[in-house]
Amino acid sequence: MRLGHRKLVHRNWILFVILLIGALSMLFPFVWMTLSSFKTKADVYSFPPRWLPTVWTWENFKAVFDMIPFLRYYLNSIYTSVLQTVLVMLVSILASYALTKMRFPGQRTYSMFLMSSMFVPAVVTMIPLYLTVSAMGLADTYAGIVLPQISTAFTTMLLSSFFAGIPNDLLDAARLDGCGHFRILTKVVMPNTKGAISTATLFSFLTAWKSYTWPLIITTKTEYRTLPIGLKYLVTESSSEYQIMMAASLMAILPVLIAFIFCEKQLVRSITLTGMKS
Amino acid sequence: MKRGLKLFALTIAALMLFVTFAGCVPTPASVSGTESTDAAASESGETSVESAEETTDLTVAMDLSEREPVTLEVWYAVSGTSGETFVDQAEAFDESSDLVSLNLSYSGGSTDTATKVSAALLTGTEPDVALMYAGPSYTGGRGDFSMAQLIQREGFDADDIYPGMWDYCRYGNGDICAVPYGISTQVMYYNKDILAAAGVDMTNPPTTWAEFYDVCLKCLESGNLNGMDGFTAFDVTDTGWLFKSMCMQNGCSVVELGDDGTVTPVFNDAEALEVAEYWKSLVDSGIMAAGEHSAAENKFLAGNLAFIAMSSNRISRWTDVDINIGAIEMPYFKTQSVALGGNVLVILTQDPQRIEAAWDLISYLLSPEQNIEFALSTGYLPVRQSELEMPEVTAAIEQNEMYSVAFKQLSYTWAYVHFEQMGTMDLQIADALSRIEKGTREPQEALDTALNNLLGEMELDAQ
Repeated sequence: MRLGHRKLVHRNWILFVILLIGALSMLFPFVWMTLSSFKTKADVYSFPPRWLPTVWTWENFKAVFDMIPFLRYYLNSIYTSVLQTVLVMLVSILASYALTKMRFPGQRTYSMFLMSSMFVPAVVTMIPLYLTVSAMGLADTYAGIVLPQISTAFTTMLLSSFFAGIPNDLLDAARLDGCGHFRILTKVVMPNTKGAISTATLFSFLTAWKSYTWPLIITTKTEYRTLPIGLKYLVTESSSEYQIMMAASLMAILPVLIAFIFCEKQLVRSITLTGMKS
Repeated sequence: MKRGLKLFALTIAALMLFVTFAGCVPTPASVSGTESTDAAASESGETSVESAEETTDLTVAMDLSEREPVTLEVWYAVSGTSGETFVDQAEAFDESSDLVSLNLSYSGGSTDTATKVSAALLTGTEPDVALMYAGPSYTGGRGDFSMAQLIQREGFDADDIYPGMWDYCRYGNGDICAVPYGISTQVMYYNKDILAAAGVDMTNPPTTWAEFYDVCLKCLESGNLNGMDGFTAFDVTDTGWLFKSMCMQNGCSVVELGDDGTVTPVFNDAEALEVAEYWKSLVDSGIMAAGEHSAAENKFLAGNLAFIAMSSNRISRWTDVDINIGAIEMPYFKTQSVALGGNVLVILTQDPQRIEAAWDLISYLLSPEQNIEFALSTGYLPVRQSELEMPEVTAAIEQNEMYSVAFKQLSYTWAYVHFEQMGTMDLQIADALSRIEKGTREPQEALDTALNNLLGEMELDAQ
């Protein structure tokens, strides 16, 4: 008994060390980014690498605000990301419900068609999409940035896989109680798939937050541009100003961290359920 | 109930179909009135441009009394310090001009700008002026050679600009369709401490690639100051760029231009093969690491690399670093030659009033005073020969001796004409070199494959 307990403790310690190494390796880039944002250029390139800055400087953060309209880009990113996430979720939840819990002609074909769109690289559709959006007069507008990105096959298929798992008997029972589709969706399906919806929301937000090429193509005015465009501007043609890039990245990552903190529980649960990682 | 259900499902499906496949609808040529005409004109390119050229003689400036105030859309593909300097100069022009004001917009990196400009040309929403890489492909590619007329205007002095730079502004049949601005060449930078430790006297630097090879071996022997396992003597961030320079030095012109304007790639001939074999020898001897070019700059700045071939624009950027950096002229095989790279300025508008305004801006940016300021702030090269005699240049060289190397190289810069598939050619050359380095293909086989792939795409595009 005592030997078995000792073995268990020993095994736990090994597991703990392995997990600790894993956790530290995940944390390392973030810590390095944070420290580098306070370093001088000489410190960034010093060899052997210096963990801590020899002189802690705020100049890199100041340089970010001097080089780009950071606040404007930041607000634009928050606005478009939140709006896009809400619309993506709205479209995806409705579509997933229709695809899994309703019957209509061509349903299966449509599902396959939708799934196949995931295999088309975004760059292929970029110019046709620009032509369409531009013809609609949406170039240089928030709508132009957000609307073309609100239907994502990935989110729809992710939610569909969870919605399909809800027994139809549960829906039939709700129907017997007099529920229509809207109430079934909001009172039965959504409460039972909270984890999946949270995960899809986080993925959608992350996708919108880091979206670069489309906002760049569809906008030319500073007042509509988003943070990734600003970050790219700081990359001085594959430049060596890493400390400035790190300062900008540190500030840029904050909303994502906040979103992650709020959705962490659901995200981890969904990763466990689906085996997906972003 | 059942009807409502069907309607609900169909509405959702229709909404999703619309949004998901919105990008598959036809081009606006069939959608809107004025824009469709512009778009069609842009697509055919030559039709609209030829008519503009036929009606206007651009060698003579428009009379001031005919000029109207114009706001130009200007896109620029340079960021960081270069972007800021460009914006400062453009804004200074804006302030000084009563007739022209500017809307400046950063258009992303070279690939992003290419996509953005391509899309804009199709919808007739192109900028009036663009500072971009491969600009001649977007003007000459559409048959727009109006720049060739504009540079003949009195007071511009096109002959003052380096002939090699004009070559960089030609498309296909050899006509000029852009002006050089933000041009660079590769420079051979070195770590002074490593070379000193290796016992190499850099007051008498290696001039040929054979001498360079020997110096690199010395660095490998006794230059590893940090004691790093991954220490190597030489690397390059842009392999294709250097390979093209080396080819030209060895007598291979990379591409040949026929009398009828057709471009024929020749980078697999005997001279190019010699270069590829030299390239392989650098890897085989451990002088250069295979396939680690993207990390080369970091490695150099950390003091773990003796030589690096990089853009001249690093001269002004590597100022606040921990290592002692020097520069030498690019070694050569038979003759000195360095390939040009970087950006050009193009005029994309066809409107005569806007062309006048665009030319005002370009003339301003290419005036010796402005251009030398841009060059010294960004590390890009002066485009005018007269700029080298300016006191600012002397002062800059006194402050940073590496400038003199970049400026010396100006006398033997070289460029081939732009053609539609030049981006593919660069990718193919880089891929061939990568395979040679990793030993998955012999040099001749790798070059032949790259050339055949390029020819395949050229034939496909011609159909």
